[in-house]
Amino acid sequence: MNQRVVTWVLVVGLGFSFFMLFGKVGAFRLPGNQQGYEPVQPIAYSHRLHAGELQIACLYCHSGAELSRHAGIPSANICMNCHKFVTATLGAMHAEDDVAQKEKRPPRRLVSSELQKLYDALGLNENLERDPAKEQKPVAWVRIHKLPDFAYFDHRAHVGVGVECQQCHGQVTTMERMRQAEDLSMGWCVNCHRDVNRTGVAGKPVQASIDCQTCHY
Amino acid sequence: MTEYWKSLNEPSSEQDEFPELLQIGSHGFGRRGFLKAAGFSFAGAMLAGCSRAPVEKAIPHLNKPEEITPGVAYHYASTCGACSAGCGLLVKVRDGRPVKLEGNPQHALSRGALCAVGQASILGLYDSLRLKSPLRGGTQAGWEEVDREITAELDAFRRDRKAVRFLSPAILSPTLRHMIDRFLQGFPGARHVVYDPLSCSAILDAHQATHGARVLPHYRFERAEVIAGFDADFLGTWISPVEFTAGYAAGRSLEGEPARFSYHIQFEPRLSITGSKADRRIRVAPSELETVVAHLAALIAMKAGAALDLGPLGPPPAPLEPLADRLWNARGRSLVVSGSQDVTTQVLVNYLNHTLGNYGATLDLDRPSAQRQGNDRQLEGLIGELREGQVAALFVYGVNPVYDLPDGEALARAIQKVPLAVSFAERLDETASVSRYVCPDHHYLESWGDAEPVSGVLSLTQPVIRPLGDTRSVLESLAAWQGIRKSAYDLSRESWQASVFPRQTQEKSFQTWSDKAVHDGCVEVAPARTAIRPFSMVAVERKPPARAAFELVLYPKAGMLDGRHAYNPWLQELPDPITKVTWDNYACLSPTAAANLGVSDGDVVRLEARGKTLELPALIQPGQHDRVVAIALGYGRKETQRFAKIGPAWLHRRLSVGEDGYVGKAASPLLAFSGSTLRYSAVCDKIGKTGRRQELAATQHHHNIHVPKELGGERRPVIEERTLEEARRRGPETGHAADLWPPDHAVPGQRWGMAIDLTACTGCSACVIACQVENNVPVVGKDEVRRQREMHWIRLDRYYSGEGDSLTVAHQPMLCQHCEHAPCETVCPVLATVHSADGLNQQVYNRCVGTRYCANNCPYKVRRFNWFDYPHEDKLQNMVLNPDVTVRSRGVMEKCSFCIQRIQEARIEARRRGEEIEDGDIRTACQQTCPAGAIVFGDMNDPESRISKLLESPRRYHVLEDLNVLPSIGYLALVRNRDT
Repeated sequence: MNQRVVTWVLVVGLGFSFFMLFGKVGAFRLPGNQQGYEPVQPIAYSHRLHAGELQIACLYCHSGAELSRHAGIPSANICMNCHKFVTATLGAMHAEDDVAQKEKRPPRRLVSSELQKLYDALGLNENLERDPAKEQKPVAWVRIHKLPDFAYFDHRAHVGVGVECQQCHGQVTTMERMRQAEDLSMGWCVNCHRDVNRTGVAGKPVQASIDCQTCHY
Repeated sequence: MTEYWKSLNEPSSEQDEFPELLQIGSHGFGRRGFLKAAGFSFAGAMLAGCSRAPVEKAIPHLNKPEEITPGVAYHYASTCGACSAGCGLLVKVRDGRPVKLEGNPQHALSRGALCAVGQASILGLYDSLRLKSPLRGGTQAGWEEVDREITAELDAFRRDRKAVRFLSPAILSPTLRHMIDRFLQGFPGARHVVYDPLSCSAILDAHQATHGARVLPHYRFERAEVIAGFDADFLGTWISPVEFTAGYAAGRSLEGEPARFSYHIQFEPRLSITGSKADRRIRVAPSELETVVAHLAALIAMKAGAALDLGPLGPPPAPLEPLADRLWNARGRSLVVSGSQDVTTQVLVNYLNHTLGNYGATLDLDRPSAQRQGNDRQLEGLIGELREGQVAALFVYGVNPVYDLPDGEALARAIQKVPLAVSFAERLDETASVSRYVCPDHHYLESWGDAEPVSGVLSLTQPVIRPLGDTRSVLESLAAWQGIRKSAYDLSRESWQASVFPRQTQEKSFQTWSDKAVHDGCVEVAPARTAIRPFSMVAVERKPPARAAFELVLYPKAGMLDGRHAYNPWLQELPDPITKVTWDNYACLSPTAAANLGVSDGDVVRLEARGKTLELPALIQPGQHDRVVAIALGYGRKETQRFAKIGPAWLHRRLSVGEDGYVGKAASPLLAFSGSTLRYSAVCDKIGKTGRRQELAATQHHHNIHVPKELGGERRPVIEERTLEEARRRGPETGHAADLWPPDHAVPGQRWGMAIDLTACTGCSACVIACQVENNVPVVGKDEVRRQREMHWIRLDRYYSGEGDSLTVAHQPMLCQHCEHAPCETVCPVLATVHSADGLNQQVYNRCVGTRYCANNCPYKVRRFNWFDYPHEDKLQNMVLNPDVTVRSRGVMEKCSFCIQRIQEARIEARRRGEEIEDGDIRTACQQTCPAGAIVFGDMNDPESRISKLLESPRRYHVLEDLNVLPSIGYLALVRNRDT
């Protein structure tokens, strides 16, 4: 009797474990694999809107990709190139314009709550001028793409030969919130390095080294 | 072939590279234990896999400066402030923090090189024990209250006409000199007293006597064909070693056009770096030095037909006629230098240089050097005033008299009694801790400034980081106490506009001139006028030498100098270029003297001189005079207390400091003033064994490349040496050893290699520190060095041959040879060390499991194992880590990578620009800093590259060539200008 119960409990437990394991097989990761990481950012910035709908070139904001190992996160003054004028969504601004026209008054400045965080970071007042009384505080974004400390990746070498940003970062133009699309594992890097030595990049032959010290030093 | 050996008591049985056996197996680590451990680690790995990496923030600029791109390193020209040589710097700044100092190739004196001390001085910036705010009576204070109080007291002293004194070392900055003068002008009878902790006062006094001006000539070693050195360690520590080494190497180059090779003879009591390079080296006791110079002067006077009255000379201590002939034949192309602190000797040296027509040729008095300005007579006067309590205000800048000078304790008491004692020290040193106010100066990388090390050469200092603490430039402090509220930047610019800009004619606009000057870091202007009389001999007063059984020599050690950088663990762990000892000073004795005293290495000896006693471990030093005991200055500093627990923390750890809590013992109490100068030698009254022992942390037996004892144990020929005649005669060598290995790894693109010229290498060890900074090499502490666990990727092997006066020394930089048939690669079970397509032997840390097979199989013994996670707890100090190089963790093998990070950077940058990598674009850290230009790195597949040309030299050989491992490093044989 007792043995039976124990056996049943074991069988059920084993089945449950298998169910859990296979049910989450897609979520199983090797240590360090951050694929699919999609953290909440301090400002709900949308790549879908900027890069997809508005088709702003990646390098407009991530200009470091051509010059430096880091593509970099744009500084707040880059945002201000547009957001000095665009302070809310287009729809909201149009609606305000219409109302203002009807009421025969100059349109009020609408500021979206997300952009207000940018202006606060820069210490700006309602007229988007620097307010010395306000403290400037850079935006602390949550880093998504990160390699371990013993691997050195250089954007210059990749952007320079014409590797598309999307190849490693995925379809950023569709991402409302930025997500790590690939696993950024060594095998994934090396496979691409092997492939492009055969196929070339953007129609041009390349020499992608697969020496260890290309990345590890 | 000359047989070279490393030390007198080479271990009889060959020491293993890893002497300690692991204790596994004694209790039995069975199958169950293994399964437990394996299961646990697997579970751990699974758990680790199930969690996300810690959240990391990426914080961009708010307003990015246009000229800065994050992740790109920028270089800013500046001036090294580590000593008073004033070498030019290019500071590498990555993301707002300076991470590496390189020599500035545009600098007129240092020509792109830097010494070990300069390389290490960047750590001073990130020193967490640097003062962060002014102190009053030892407690923190604000600048305003300190300023208010000091100004109030100064006003009172001005009214009461009290004595105000400013004490400093040679100040290279014309702006600061001007500021001090202006500050002192406000006080009647105020004086600025200058002393150099490594004094050359006698040279200046001698020039005062013979040329009517207290100046230091600018020595031009590159112009000299015959060099006679009398106890002047000009390649190691004397005045401006980087510049002198570059000049010396330029005068001894067989590859140069035309090929030149100077003759260098050195007379010295102990073996210095300079002596180790000399073609002929003669040991003289300090008391005999004057006699030797006098004899030489008499011989030269005879040749010149001039009368020279030197009194009775006695027999010459060494045969000098051949040298006199050589000097006389090279008139106007020879150089006599002496580091003696005896004015008579220096007057005779001046006489020699004058009679040989060297002034204006190899010694420049029109553009004198400002690198030493100290006046020991005035210093002695000031000490007298302090003792008698006559000084009302004492300002101490850049020196540490309580430590530097004899009778420091009495001086400390005297300074404590000074009503207004102000120190500008960056750290709470011996003097600052007895001063009432400490007004910390910036680190030189944080401040604006300038330097004119040699008249007409202006080297500029610009800040490369915002001050890390609430410190203030000494310029600003002095200005503030005069009621001037101006920044160091404005003060410097004003001074340049007023006194430097008018000394040039090329540029009309000051702004354009200063922009260019700050950008280049060094400008040449017309030299300031100094009134110098033509040479006139003065009567010399010769005293009979006091012959004693033992004489004491106190010397500055390369790296440690006078102890001003004693806080720097890199320099503490740098093996001395000659003795190879780290973390200590010791009493050097010649083998004969040691035998007579019955002393062996590590026996603590007690010595008495000038009524003081000192106990130090003995070190037997070949090539030292038999009647001399030599002790390094710069140890026993208060700031070395911090090193007690440096290095990894584990059960068997022993402290890195002595019983008194300091590293080494201070030798400065044995100094004394005599005949108006501070003397570094004295009669040693008594010396004897104490019976105690103290093990020194010497690296000279570590990483031997001899044949293991069980295989024969013979010495291998690792140094090739030739006489000048042989080197000129010998044609290019042809033929290579037959190769049994198929050429299975073709290297079609670049193939990196290195050539090291043993003729040029002086062993100065600048490369060791440069490599340490560049490659994040950890400091392991004294105890770990004793266990052969130092981590330096490049080591300087020092070999001896012969003995006594005929001792010759060879220095050999030894680093990973990047063998084509690398023995390490074939034994690694996990392929953590493999060959790259450009001929590099790669070490992959993330693959390494720490079997250490590779190190055992390395014939050159250049691989280093991380026994521990070396401490990186000091967050501020971690700022100096090179972000482009992995910080290795425990259990990982590491070694020289040929600065792969620099190769990658150059390759990617060239590709980005669409250009090819030019020869010379990539310079390894060791090559960049080498003052002698002994190291050349480049592409061996390019027949036009410098390295290809050098490797075709008939002098080229490979170390242990018979192993046929085909190293990528070719050594150029050591050449000496002598007959045998």
